[in-house]
Amino acid sequence: MYQLNEWIDIIRRFMDAGGDVLWAIAALTFVMWTLSIERVWYYKFGLSKDVDAAIKSWEARSERKSWSAHQIRQKLISEVSLKIDASLPMIQTMVALCPLLGLLGTVTGMIEVFNIMAVTGGGDAKSMAGGVSKATIPTMAGMVAALSGVFISTYIKGIAGRESELLEDHLTTDH
Amino acid sequence: MKPNFFKAAVFAVSGTIASMAMPAMAADEASSLDELLKKVEAGYAADAREAKAREQRFIAARSEQQAMLAKAKQTLKNEENRSAQLEGTFEENEAAITEKQRALKERLGTLTELFGHLTSTAGDLRSNFQNSLISVQFPNREEFVTQLIDKMSGAEELPSIEEIERMWFEMQREMTESGKVVKFDTTVTTADGQKEDQTVVRVGTFNLVNADGEYLQYVPETGALQVLARQPSGPYMGWAEDLASASSGMTAFGVDPTGPTGGSYLAALIDSPTLSERWHQGGVVGYVITAVGVLAMLIAIWRLVVLSIEDMKVAKQLKSGQAMTNNSLGRVLKVHEENPSMDSETLELKLSEAILRETPRLERSLNLLKIIAAVAPLLGLLGTVTGMIITFQAITIFGAGDPKAMAGGISGALVTTVLGLIVAIPTVLLHTFVSGRAKKILHILDEQSTGIIAEHTEGKAG
Repeated sequence: MYQLNEWIDIIRRFMDAGGDVLWAIAALTFVMWTLSIERVWYYKFGLSKDVDAAIKSWEARSERKSWSAHQIRQKLISEVSLKIDASLPMIQTMVALCPLLGLLGTVTGMIEVFNIMAVTGGGDAKSMAGGVSKATIPTMAGMVAALSGVFISTYIKGIAGRESELLEDHLTTDH
Repeated sequence: MKPNFFKAAVFAVSGTIASMAMPAMAADEASSLDELLKKVEAGYAADAREAKAREQRFIAARSEQQAMLAKAKQTLKNEENRSAQLEGTFEENEAAITEKQRALKERLGTLTELFGHLTSTAGDLRSNFQNSLISVQFPNREEFVTQLIDKMSGAEELPSIEEIERMWFEMQREMTESGKVVKFDTTVTTADGQKEDQTVVRVGTFNLVNADGEYLQYVPETGALQVLARQPSGPYMGWAEDLASASSGMTAFGVDPTGPTGGSYLAALIDSPTLSERWHQGGVVGYVITAVGVLAMLIAIWRLVVLSIEDMKVAKQLKSGQAMTNNSLGRVLKVHEENPSMDSETLELKLSEAILRETPRLERSLNLLKIIAAVAPLLGLLGTVTGMIITFQAITIFGAGDPKAMAGGISGALVTTVLGLIVAIPTVLLHTFVSGRAKKILHILDEQSTGIIAEHTEGKAG
């Protein structure tokens, strides 16, 4: 319990030093990771059910050569790949937005620095340091969030492409 | 009218003078020379009589004068004697005073130094009391100290033990009170100039807030309390309100540590611009970015509503066997329903034609949204650069010596960057979200419509 409180205190101090933008970055990162984990969860546990259903309905067909059979195969693939690709663009956009939010934090922090400069006349380096940390911490946080997002989104994208291809391979046509 | 009146007055005056002179002259005037001679003779006799009488009077007076002179001489002698006597007394007294003063000095001895310290301490205390917030709660302290100082600098009277003890008490009270948070009633000048009796809370010597959670300013010159015309923004007001309504225990509160020396932090907080003032600092570019952002929001919401409804209709269409004309998928499927006997190649051509017809309706304004997302940060950059130009112009005029003149322009320039980012970030998110919806429907149209038709024909055939 004590350990937990200490951690909460550390996080709170970090958030205070970074300003409000840090909360936006945290929220964005949270949503991004939630979506990513949901995707990974789906690929691990939900996808096989959908693929099996598609394969089953395909194998149940009496013939798999005609024009209409081809169209139906394409429809089956499309239905599953829609599910596979869901929320992928959103994750990628969020990854791209993280550094942008970091930049926003930088600029608001700089405004604070200049504001303090305007009030104190620039003589007080100590009070300006607060604004500077508000400028730099979100930049760093945005970068870290984006980097982590780049890894996970690339991983997910890889799985999605592989699964789509595997599905197409499973639904074989009888030439 | 006026000159006439003046003339009349002149005539009236001259008339009066003439009437007075005339009878006198008539009485003295002799009718003949003989008569005149007689008159002269009679007059001479009268004059001689008068002269004799006067002479008689003077002789009588002379002896009297001599008596008076003798008396005056006597008085002078008396007074001279008295003067000499008083002078003697004066000298005696002077000697006595010198003697007494010497005795006083001797008896004061080390006390002189003590009273010197007392005077300087009282002087310090007076300036402390003048600026201290505690004076609001305990008025008249300053008067007492001023009286004490006057008394001690007068050198005629020595401060009494009661007074010295009271000074000690006041010093101690200042110290004790500076560590307390107390509530009391006093007169406060409100922001619109009215005088009101309010309950105020004093935090040591640092800050004063009233029951409405407003920060108060103490004006040492008049000893008056004023509600600050502009209050600090952010959590400070809520804290002040909490503090004012609290009766015991701990309350979070924003204390200005520079309070006793003038409250410069609070002033800085108040001087820092509010959110809307910041927004106005962005200038024309800032307004343009805001307008573009509002436009983007409206477009995004409109497309989101339209596409969500379309999505729902398409989902319904996917489940139903009949082609409905109220959604894009239904209209594409209708192509087959209207021409059931088409061969597959013609059907595919017709279908892609129908899909092409639907595409612009689904993708409407999405590109505009994308352009806004890209343009907003660029506009922000534009604002930054124009702001920097203004800053450098300020430097050419005022020189680089005044960081305040420069900092104002720079913070104004950065505001547009912030605005650009604030518009761009949600627009990018919304564009991804909305275009995701559109793409999903298009995906269904593109890749599944033919399959659905094939399923239908098979279902009918089988």
